[in-house]
Amino acid sequence: MQLNDLNEKEIKKLKIDDLTHMFMDSINEQNLKLIAGIEYLIKEDFENFTLNLNYVIQTKAEIQIKEAFEAKIFKAKLMFSKADRLKVFSKINDIKDIGEFLAHKMLLYRVVFPDSEFKRRIELILKYLREISKNLSAAVKLIGTDLESAHDICELIKEERRKMRLEEWNLLNRLWNYDMDYLSRTFLYLKEFVEGFMMLGDHIKKFAEYIQFLATKYFYFK
Amino acid sequence: MEFELGAIIVIVLIILALALSFSIGANDETPAPLAAAGTIKFKAVLILGGAGLAIGTIFLSQGVASLVGEGILGPGIKYSVFMLLAVLISSILWLIIGSLAGIPLSSTHALIGSIVGVVIVYALFSGGIDVITALNWEKVFLVIISWVITPLAGFLITYILYKIIAKFFISKSKGITDIENSERKFAWMLLIAVFAASVWTGANSAEALGILYGLYSNDSLTIEMYYLFVVICGIFAFLGIYFAGRFVIKNLASQMTDARPSDGFILQISASIILAIATIFSVPISHSHVIVFSIIGLNVAQKKDIDYKGIGKMSLFWILTFPIAAIVAGLLYFGFISFGMV
Repeated sequence: MQLNDLNEKEIKKLKIDDLTHMFMDSINEQNLKLIAGIEYLIKEDFENFTLNLNYVIQTKAEIQIKEAFEAKIFKAKLMFSKADRLKVFSKINDIKDIGEFLAHKMLLYRVVFPDSEFKRRIELILKYLREISKNLSAAVKLIGTDLESAHDICELIKEERRKMRLEEWNLLNRLWNYDMDYLSRTFLYLKEFVEGFMMLGDHIKKFAEYIQFLATKYFYFK
Repeated sequence: MEFELGAIIVIVLIILALALSFSIGANDETPAPLAAAGTIKFKAVLILGGAGLAIGTIFLSQGVASLVGEGILGPGIKYSVFMLLAVLISSILWLIIGSLAGIPLSSTHALIGSIVGVVIVYALFSGGIDVITALNWEKVFLVIISWVITPLAGFLITYILYKIIAKFFISKSKGITDIENSERKFAWMLLIAVFAASVWTGANSAEALGILYGLYSNDSLTIEMYYLFVVICGIFAFLGIYFAGRFVIKNLASQMTDARPSDGFILQISASIILAIATIFSVPISHSHVIVFSIIGLNVAQKKDIDYKGIGKMSLFWILTFPIAAIVAGLLYFGFISFGMV
C-alpha cells in the first residue's frame, strides 16, 4: 500500500500495524532519496543533489500517518504492547528528524570532494547505509508477525553498521592527513558530513537493538 | 450469668465469622489478572469475582465447613464457645504477625493449628478425655499431607499446563500482533478461569463457615440459622471484594500491565483444579500456597529467575504457622480455663 494512493479518510481506517509500516516505508523512501542525493553530490550533479535533499526536507506526507497513528494508539484496546508500539513509531520518526537535519546541513555549502579515493570510500559507506535502511524497514514490518526473523535482520544491520564504522575511521584518517593547504570550510563540511550519516547509521543500529530487545521480551518461551 | 456470657460469645463468634468472610473477600486477589487484562470493566471484574466467591461459599462449602466444624474432632467431642473463641483469636493473631512480616500466610493453616492446640489443651484439662481420641488424627494428617501435596501439585500442573499451551498455542504467535491477538482470546478464557477459581476459593474457605458449623454442631445454632448465616457469609464475601478488595485488586492489576492473560489463565486454572479436588474431598487447603507454588512452576517453565532465598523464608513461616497457632490457641484456652471461664 502506498501513501500516495490513499486519501485522509482511507488512512484513518488503517490498522496500527499498517500505519506503522506505511510510516516506515515513507521514511525509508526519504532515506534512500537522501543517499541518492549524496551520490549526486559525489558526481558533482548539484542540481539533482539539491532536488533530492529538498525533497527530504519538504516532504510532509508522513505527518498524516503520524496523526492517524496517534489518534488510534491511545484508544486501541491493546493489552500490553501499546508502549512498545509507541516507541517503535517514535524511533522511526527520529530517523526523519535526523535525515532532515542532515539535508539542511548539506545544503549549506557546495563542496567539491578532494579526490576519487575519498569519493569511493564515501560511496562504500553510502552502500552500507542504504542496505541498513532497507533492512530496518523489513525488520520493522516483521515486528507484528515474526520477531525471530526481525531479530536476525537486526543482527545483519549491526554487522553492516560495524563495517560502516571501520570505513568512517579510514575516511576521517584520510581527511585529517591530506597533504595540502586545504580550505577549512571544506574540511569542516566533510568532517561533519561523514559524522552526519554515521549518526543516522548509529540511530538505525540502536533501533535494531531495540527490536532485538522486543524479540527477547515477547518471545521468551523458546 | 453463665448463660448470658455464653450467648454473648456466640454473638461475638458470629460477628467474627461474618467479619472473616468480609476479609476473605477483601483480601482475595483472584480477579487481579482479569482486571489487568482489561477484558471487562473493573466493576464487572469485582462483581464476577464477588459472585464466584459468594456462590462457592453458599453452595459448595458444606464439606470443608463440616470437617473444620466437626469432622476433625474425635468422637463425642464438641466445641465449646470458648474453644471457638480461642481458635479465632489465635488464627487472627498469627495472620496479623504474617501481614506485619510481609509473608502471605495461610489462614487455613492457622485455623487448623489453632483447633489442634485448643482440643489438646481441652483434652488434657477436662479429665477423662484421651488426647489420642480427642481429635480425628486421620483427618488431621490428611489435611496436613494435603498442605504438602497441593502446593507441589500447583507447581506441577502449572508447569505442564504451560508447556502444553506454549507448544500448541503461544509458540504459534511469532510477532507482537499475533501475540496480542492470541492473548486477547486468552483474556476471555481468563474470565472463565477467574470465575471458576473464585467459586472454588469460596467453597474451600473454611475459616468462617467452620466456626459457624462448630456453633451448629454444639447446638448454639439451629440448622436454619446455620444456613442463614452461610448465605450472609456469602453476601459478606461479595461485599468484601466489592468494597474493600477493589484496592488490593487494583493495586495488583496495576503491577500486572505487562503480564500476559495466558499466564493468568494457566495460574487460575491450576488453582481451580486443585481447590476443586480438595473441596470435593472436604480438605481445607491454602489458596495462597497453591498460587505461590503455581507462580514458581510458571517461572520455571518460562526459564525465569526464582528468588530461592525468599521462598525459603516463606516456607519457614508456612511450616511454623501450624505449631505456633496451636501453641497460641492452646495457651489462650488454658487462660480461659485458669480464669474459670470454662
